[in-house]
Amino acid sequence: MRINNKIAGVVAGSLLVAAGVIPASGFAQTSIAQTYPTKPVRLIVAFPAGGSTDIIARLVAQRLGEKLGQQVIVDNRGGAGGTIGTEIAAKATPDGHTLTMGTTSTHVIAPAAYAKVNYDPVKDFEPITLVASTPYLLVLHPGVKANNLKEFVALAKSQPGKLNYASAGTGSTTQLAMEMLNRAAGMDIVHIPYGGNGPAGAAALGGQVQALFGSMPAVLPHAQAGRLRPIAVGTSKRSPALPNVPTVAESGYPGFEVSLWLGFFAPKGTPKPVLTRLQTELTAIANSPEMGAQFEKNGASSLTNTPAEMMALMKSELDKYGKVIKAAGIVLK
Amino acid sequence: METDIISNLALGFSTAVSPINLFYCFIGVLVGTLIGVLPGIGPVAAVAMLLPLTFNLDAVGAIIMLSGIYYGTQYGGSTTAILVNLPGESASVVTCMDGYAMARQGRAGPALAIAAIGSFFAGTVGTILVALVGPPLAEIALKFGAPEYFSLMVMALIAAAVLAHGGMLKTICMIVLGLLVGIVGTDVNSGMSRFTFGASGLADGLSFVVVAMGLFGFAEILSNLQDKADTASRDILNQKITGLMPTAKDMKDSFGAILRGTAIGAFFGTLPGGGPTISAFSAYAVEKKLAKNPENFGKGDIRGVAAPESANNSAVQCAFITTLTLGIPHGATMALLLGALTIQGIAPGPQVMTQRPDLFWGLIASMWIGNAMLVILNLPLVGLWIKLLKVPYRFLYPAIMVFMAIGVYSVNNLDLDIYMTILFGVLGYIFMKLKCEPAPLILAFVLGPLMEENLRRALLISRGDPTVFITRPISAAFLVATALLLAFMIVPSFRKKREEAVAESAVL
Repeated sequence: MRINNKIAGVVAGSLLVAAGVIPASGFAQTSIAQTYPTKPVRLIVAFPAGGSTDIIARLVAQRLGEKLGQQVIVDNRGGAGGTIGTEIAAKATPDGHTLTMGTTSTHVIAPAAYAKVNYDPVKDFEPITLVASTPYLLVLHPGVKANNLKEFVALAKSQPGKLNYASAGTGSTTQLAMEMLNRAAGMDIVHIPYGGNGPAGAAALGGQVQALFGSMPAVLPHAQAGRLRPIAVGTSKRSPALPNVPTVAESGYPGFEVSLWLGFFAPKGTPKPVLTRLQTELTAIANSPEMGAQFEKNGASSLTNTPAEMMALMKSELDKYGKVIKAAGIVLK
Repeated sequence: METDIISNLALGFSTAVSPINLFYCFIGVLVGTLIGVLPGIGPVAAVAMLLPLTFNLDAVGAIIMLSGIYYGTQYGGSTTAILVNLPGESASVVTCMDGYAMARQGRAGPALAIAAIGSFFAGTVGTILVALVGPPLAEIALKFGAPEYFSLMVMALIAAAVLAHGGMLKTICMIVLGLLVGIVGTDVNSGMSRFTFGASGLADGLSFVVVAMGLFGFAEILSNLQDKADTASRDILNQKITGLMPTAKDMKDSFGAILRGTAIGAFFGTLPGGGPTISAFSAYAVEKKLAKNPENFGKGDIRGVAAPESANNSAVQCAFITTLTLGIPHGATMALLLGALTIQGIAPGPQVMTQRPDLFWGLIASMWIGNAMLVILNLPLVGLWIKLLKVPYRFLYPAIMVFMAIGVYSVNNLDLDIYMTILFGVLGYIFMKLKCEPAPLILAFVLGPLMEENLRRALLISRGDPTVFITRPISAAFLVATALLLAFMIVPSFRKKREEAVAESAVL
């Protein structure tokens, strides 16, 4: 069936090209879609192996490989906040054999916060689809005398500039989430940057800082064990893992939303039919119940959309985080 | 309580000694050792490369195998440190000093053997510690905030001054240079790049592997090749190899060093910001201070191998305490191990112990089994490694250089790293000519950024009040210890001068 179609396509294509009806590139694209992929697909992950982005990427890569009939190889190109790997992906041959797992960090925050990034998240990439998102959870050291966001805001306001919060680093989502809350609630909680989610979690556990707006997979185990007190989630809906913890929005700050999304991008100029094929396969994979269960184990949940929606999301977030970054005076050089 | 631990350990051993898990443990240790002896490929690179292999195993098997790879690479790194002056990872920099000197005297066998024996002893003690007092120890470790880490690192850096057998001035210069090299990269607080010259490959700083491979490995090769006529001296083969195993005297000499090294390693290993490197350097410094003949250190003293190797291994073992009980990784390798757990759907944290006791205790039991396997595997291999040295140098050095390049490249997949290694190689050669020890530079390079980070963090939290370092008791204790250490370092030189003066007046 497939072979017949292919032959028919080739014959029809040659005739049309010969007749000058459609340009040759149109023919080439059709034939690419039918033969793609011709070799193993490289999936660039701009973070080191074993990290949360890498884990999601590997889970999806394995299934995508099965569906495409070619291996999808994860290529970890970590460093410089994910900008090194993303730049490599932006400059790769746009034939669908190089893809990248982009996130809020690589495609929104880094371009907005770094003084110079050698890629443009909007102009250099073809968005394919999101696959997952990870919520952020505001946790307090149990010694802090506040049981919900309202009490915490009151406490912070009663002693301005006295409380501290930890982040996974300057310009990380964990900092931006807290800075947004600082602004929304009129608080002045001081930023103490740490080198990653692990050390930031340790600082909160040990009471070196009072608060942490941490990535769900990093702080959930401690919240469940009662070592850190969860008071609000940054997503627009409550998390199934912590149904009793309200969202920031419902605690009095409507419209507040911070989460980390992860999605697939191809370099600009990748043939349309290839993108469509990838979108179909990836959407099916991300929405399958097995993958949903796997994501959940890693503190994430399935989330898919269309390329147009993804582009719109990116643009609106570039605007939203851009403002916070500017207001907080964050410039990464 | 005690019966708990016995029944827990019984559960652990029953998990770990299942044939399939023993097999994974063995494969991990074997592969780790084989990869670890390749210059430049340390635990981080090895675990990262082999991580995907474990995706299809069950959780217990995966973590047992990865831990085996970790121990194996670490030991393999010491092997190359002793044989060809190539530290596989930061902790083996210390082993290079006396281990390589021993190898040049034809005593590579005893050096390798004592490293294995010391590591096994330390591993055993570490395993017992993790099982007995792991969770309460982890609680104490959490008490360490930024001021404590800063003061601890000041102490470690001052201790480093006794490492070198050159002059004090040269040592201080090397420490300062190391601090400067450590500054390269993105500043944690402001996010600004420092000394990166616009190269994105330098944004995360220079990697340890680049600096160590250059200063030690590459520089060593340059200096070995400098004199064409002197072909004889660079073949260690020409040195008479005196026995493969340590003598009774070696064992007696090393005994105290192994005990002290183990204790020091256990202390630093438990702290999430401590780690094997500080342990190894500190253990070495302590041995040199305690020795009646400190001038032998750096010239092939077996204690200079036994102490850091034991400290290193017990630190690695105790690093599992915070990694497993709190889910806080201890450096890059531990972060990878945690990643492996997460891939298996296990969220690392305090509940692992209660929810998956088979995994927790199985891992602890397999740590010990893994260490035992390392000794069984490596003692017979000592002979084989020695034979490797009989390969003529004109074949050996190109091979070492190729592996070094592969190892350096594999860390970040960046070609810039290879050029930087060459640069540090040339620098290392110049240091060698100037008789400047590279070890203090490396320690400062590793500790410097941590020290700066914690200093600034401590002041940020105290809102700029520097008294925080002396009002927090643990921090104050470290600073007092540092002051004492400095006093001890200065007093002997006074005493010596006085004795000389007394002796002179007696002659008169």
